[in-house]
Amino acid sequence: MPPTMSREGLRPPEVTGSGYALPVFPYRRPAELAGERRRHKVAVVGGGLAGLTAACDLAGRGIPVVLLDEDDTVGVRGASSRGIVYAQKTLEIFDRLGIYQRIVEKGVTWSVGKVLADDDVLYRFDASQGSLSKAPPFINLQQFYVEWYLVDRLAELPSAELRWRNRVTGITQREDHVALAVETPDGSYTLEAEWVIDASGLASLIRGALGAKMAAEQGEDRWCISDVRFKTSLPAERWTWAKAAFNDGRAVWQHPMADGVWRLDYQMGPNADPKTIADPETVRDRLRRHLGETEIEIVWVGPYDYRTQLMDHFRLGRVFFAGDVAHVMNPFGARGGNSGVQDAENIAWKLAAVVTGAAPEALLDSYDEERRAAGAHNIHVTTRTIRFLAPRSPFEHRFRDAVLDLARRHDFGRALVNTGRLSVAFDYAGSSLTSNSGSAVPNVPVTLPDGSAGALSDLLRGEGAIFLVLCYAGAEPPALPERLARSFACNAAIGGLPVLRGPALDRLGGAGEVLVIRPDQHLAARLERPAAATVQAAIDKALGKERAR
Amino acid sequence: MRTDANIPDADGFYAAIIAANEGLSEGESEAFLLRFALLLANQIGDQQVLLDAIRTAREMVVPREAGRNT
Repeated sequence: MPPTMSREGLRPPEVTGSGYALPVFPYRRPAELAGERRRHKVAVVGGGLAGLTAACDLAGRGIPVVLLDEDDTVGVRGASSRGIVYAQKTLEIFDRLGIYQRIVEKGVTWSVGKVLADDDVLYRFDASQGSLSKAPPFINLQQFYVEWYLVDRLAELPSAELRWRNRVTGITQREDHVALAVETPDGSYTLEAEWVIDASGLASLIRGALGAKMAAEQGEDRWCISDVRFKTSLPAERWTWAKAAFNDGRAVWQHPMADGVWRLDYQMGPNADPKTIADPETVRDRLRRHLGETEIEIVWVGPYDYRTQLMDHFRLGRVFFAGDVAHVMNPFGARGGNSGVQDAENIAWKLAAVVTGAAPEALLDSYDEERRAAGAHNIHVTTRTIRFLAPRSPFEHRFRDAVLDLARRHDFGRALVNTGRLSVAFDYAGSSLTSNSGSAVPNVPVTLPDGSAGALSDLLRGEGAIFLVLCYAGAEPPALPERLARSFACNAAIGGLPVLRGPALDRLGGAGEVLVIRPDQHLAARLERPAAATVQAAIDKALGKERAR
Repeated sequence: MRTDANIPDADGFYAAIIAANEGLSEGESEAFLLRFALLLANQIGDQQVLLDAIRTAREMVVPREAGRNT
């Protein structure tokens, strides 16, 4: 699919010296304001990455969904390009949702990173080594493009309704539904939905109104992003300086994205004043020290600090919290946006399974179990990174210097250098839904039974929440209801099962094995020559039927 | 973590450490010890032994403010 202009968008985005020109989506008078009474199945609040992904995933599964956004565009109006790094698991989700090709075409695909200290390259990594997925390890792209593609995709899905300039001002939880007070240019109305996904970000009104508890911690570290274009040609790689002489011995990030724009992110002194560090002359001087004398076009400058925030519970009654509303962490590792997309995928298939009657409501509690664990893990990992990047005492500085010194000379020292551990899919091995493994299954390329080229994610599309059962030579073909699971034989003939072919399949499993794969392409179970009832039991467990007992 | 005698030539090891630090300032000796500790940690390569050693060493160092953390 070639990149096309948004059906609803008015103009393509242009990079300008003062930011990006963003699309404007039309407000339409909601049916409720015309006196129509409706009970929506699922309402999603917030049209950012997590909200749009959730809506797109639900609508793709045939579940009616209405998305409310207080604005009428993507991105943060007049402001940042926000996240830029989309990691493999997220790209695989976008493949299933149907926007992957546009991301590939617009974004910068990369796998090589370099970690530096002043003028020395401490080490270089290539994340494509050993990767089995159709998707590359990473694609960099301004976040608003991804959101725009999701909006376009939603416009193609009949069970999705987008409501721009619909601002939620209140919430009431009732026995069998949630009532949202919504404000529009035409006045206020009440929206009723059986389930609500709150993806309204950092400062969610819903979270506050429900009195939800969370742990929060503000950091002292300060950074300043400059998104710029310049004439100098640099490799499409992620370069991170643990310390750089051109930034007064502090850390620097250098990363390409679409439209020839580079994200340059500079660590500032602790508690530095945001106004001072973003002053135009100071910014230009900083860029000259980094890039030398070259023509520089500044696209966007944003000073920032960060906090750590984690909700105690990701589910409260009929409301689920996804993305930044539920968890906030520092950006070093690209774990914010990527985990928001993965939250959305997790709740989407579970709601689809419950709404269609395939699973008991108890399944929905596992959203909190699985995604809060992922959020806590991401906070743990990113907090360690920042302790490396911003040492808190003279001793920590000297200890880090020793690590950098050893890393210049010896392999082992490199493992201790932590300029961000990039986002990877969370392993649900400890979840009550999984049996002996919960790792993400790479989206391996396969030849589909009809002879066409595809990938595993192609087999997970469709109505409801579908499981994928991969059988290897020597296993018995399971007999499972068609609406629940699709079974395939891998590189072998097994009973009458349709056959998938491809060398990478043999890296996922071996003789006699049956892999039970959840709708989010995580393993539910890895079974050895199972009886048909054992496969059914693994699926039942993954649908929360054990929790319901 | 083993705490029985395991250094083949203890006196020679002690002398080598002293000799390596001769002529170094306190800061330089600290720099030496940090690098030495990191090199040794990699030789050991056993997380539990490393954590035991960290705990044991820390327990032997009492912060000056009397009794704090003890």
